[in-house]
Amino acid sequence: MSRRFWSNVLAVAYREARIVRHDRAFLGVVLMQPIMMLVIFGLVLSNKPANVPWAVLDRSADAVARRLVAEVQATGYFRPPRRVASYDQARDLLRRGQALAVLVVPEDFGRDVERGRPRVQLLLDGSDPLSAARIGAYVAEVAGAFATRVVPASARHAAPRLPGPIDVRQRFWFNPTLSDRVFFLAAFAGMLLTNLCLSVTSGGLVGEREMGTYEQMLALPTTPLEIVLGKLVPYVVVCYGLLVFAVLSSGLVFGIWPQGSWPALFAITLPFVLASLAIGVLVSVLAQTTAQSVFITVFFIMPSFVLSGVMYPYQFMPRGVREVGGLFPLRWYQLALRRIVERGAGFAEVLGPALALAGLFALLLVLVRWRMKPRLG
Amino acid sequence: MSGRRLRTLVLREVRATLRDPFTMTILVTVPLVALVLFGFVLATDVKHLALGVHDASATAASRRLIADLGASGTFDPRPYATRGALEHALVAGTISVALVIPPDFDRDLNGGEPPQVQVIYDGGEAPLAGNAEAFVRSLLVRSGASLAPPAAAPGGVEVVTRALFNPRLEGKPFMVAGTFGFVLSFLTTIITAVSIVNERLTGTFDQLQVTPATSAEILLGKLLPLGAVFAFDVVVMMLVAGFVLGVWPQGNALLFVAVSSGYVFFSLALGLYFSATSGTAAEAVQKTVLFSIPLVQLSGFAFPTRNMPFVFRWLAEVFPATHYIRVSRAIYLRAAGPEALAWELAVLALSGVVFMALALRTIGART
Repeated sequence: MSRRFWSNVLAVAYREARIVRHDRAFLGVVLMQPIMMLVIFGLVLSNKPANVPWAVLDRSADAVARRLVAEVQATGYFRPPRRVASYDQARDLLRRGQALAVLVVPEDFGRDVERGRPRVQLLLDGSDPLSAARIGAYVAEVAGAFATRVVPASARHAAPRLPGPIDVRQRFWFNPTLSDRVFFLAAFAGMLLTNLCLSVTSGGLVGEREMGTYEQMLALPTTPLEIVLGKLVPYVVVCYGLLVFAVLSSGLVFGIWPQGSWPALFAITLPFVLASLAIGVLVSVLAQTTAQSVFITVFFIMPSFVLSGVMYPYQFMPRGVREVGGLFPLRWYQLALRRIVERGAGFAEVLGPALALAGLFALLLVLVRWRMKPRLG
Repeated sequence: MSGRRLRTLVLREVRATLRDPFTMTILVTVPLVALVLFGFVLATDVKHLALGVHDASATAASRRLIADLGASGTFDPRPYATRGALEHALVAGTISVALVIPPDFDRDLNGGEPPQVQVIYDGGEAPLAGNAEAFVRSLLVRSGASLAPPAAAPGGVEVVTRALFNPRLEGKPFMVAGTFGFVLSFLTTIITAVSIVNERLTGTFDQLQVTPATSAEILLGKLLPLGAVFAFDVVVMMLVAGFVLGVWPQGNALLFVAVSSGYVFFSLALGLYFSATSGTAAEAVQKTVLFSIPLVQLSGFAFPTRNMPFVFRWLAEVFPATHYIRVSRAIYLRAAGPEALAWELAVLALSGVVFMALALRTIGART
């Protein structure tokens, strides 16, 4: 590549940077969105059941049943239970969404306790399946380990404790309190950069064509490739600024610092940013008007958030859908981010995602080069 | 307000929209793609999760325990010869859960002492680990109770669980009902905002104003066809959800369409407001997107509002999207009738009226 090539690229970059500084919509994306998303993903969203409304239909009026209810309540996931008198009332509460679970204690519960095989029924609101599944398992576990006979305090020293038949010792690696915040914020940089890269570049070339400035640039001794690269340079710089913001804000505000190699974190970001910018350029080459390019971008960002695994683990998705997610750069970047930020990985562990990102970038460059003609319109 | 003039304006809008293949494509494809995408993406039932097992005990009882864990289809147990190999697999991400059975498992089981097992989860994928935890613990408790000699069993209460409205706890119906809220909050607003800003930019809005039509007629002429298109979208989405995903409304389908059409007008008003306050189409879109992120995230579309901290729970109540998604799930999944939804419907109606008035005033001041 000649010296003229790079000086042309830098000249276009300088021009682009001058323009961008005055773009209100761009500043909104760069300044407002990161803070808003930090609040949402750091503070607000969580999968962990909390404040669960539930009800008890106790037909036994047995002391043991009351103790069971108290033990379920003690797990901390629930609000104080409501009492209901009949199945119809229970169903009605579930239907209105005023209870997520109803614990039904049968009439002969006390007798069954004596015989050693007590049973209760748990009605769950299946319309919220994620919460229902967890609540069901929590209650089953509490009940399974429930001691139906209380050992008197005096005898407690003599007789061995009577816990459940298996003592489960569990630990969560990489995220000891199992907070969803760690899960979201580990991929925070990925979300910010996807939004930025796609929304700023996609309007670029179309906008220049609409305003006639593209033709002006073509009249200069710059090639289309130089123009495209030059327009991207300022955004790469902004992207690294956002990466630093993402790392510092999750670290300083929420105490979530990358456990692994920082150089690897900065290195893997480059192919991701380039691939994302290239998608934006491709959109701006394909779109006829600015409005179209913006639409395509918005509706590209949406599935890339959903399918890549930044919001839901991609392991949840069925085969096929999971593979489609591999077409989005965000999938590979979030894999690398989780490895570096959560599991303490270095260069070796993120080589796979890095290669995938580089491959996507190369593919996109070929597509852009093929679709972009220096046409005058 | 003249019916004839309004009809002309509506016809004009319909013709203009039909001539624009790009908008038509967006209006049809985005809702359907969103529906299928969201419908498939959330599987709440943990299935075939890789479970690494290091069985140092290697007795009949420990093998029974592993077989029990594998039998439910939730976990695919994979044996690891050493503890080190197991931990390495966890770090590398090849397994999501690791189970360590100690050498004295069998002795403890029969010796009265509760045997200990260790379970390690990959907390990096927190939502996955959370689901897996719930399953592992209840499976272990159940399996352990059947293994222990009867004398050692200290009791325990069996729970017979029954999920109403969605017996197999599938993720699809939950997401499908929520997707209506997503599409009608987001797509509607964005399309309206862009369409009106574009008319202002190309000057056709000014042209309309020199005709005898009043501002109210012009706006209605724009909103009515758009509203009709989205009401149509709702019906198409319901059919696709039914035929492709197998999710049909449990409640009254007509009630659902009626509520949805009402909610569309709230979103149209919001789009009107964004268009009135934006200089270019790009700006209108940016505003919509910026506003829609919290709208969708806080509304309980993906994560239940009750899990949020106190302040945000109340903030979520302010968004009409929250109420619409709640109503949509109630009708679609729990077959709730209007009497059970009176409060939510009242909030929706009120916010629709307030926003429409606000939007009309803003755009009136601008033109």
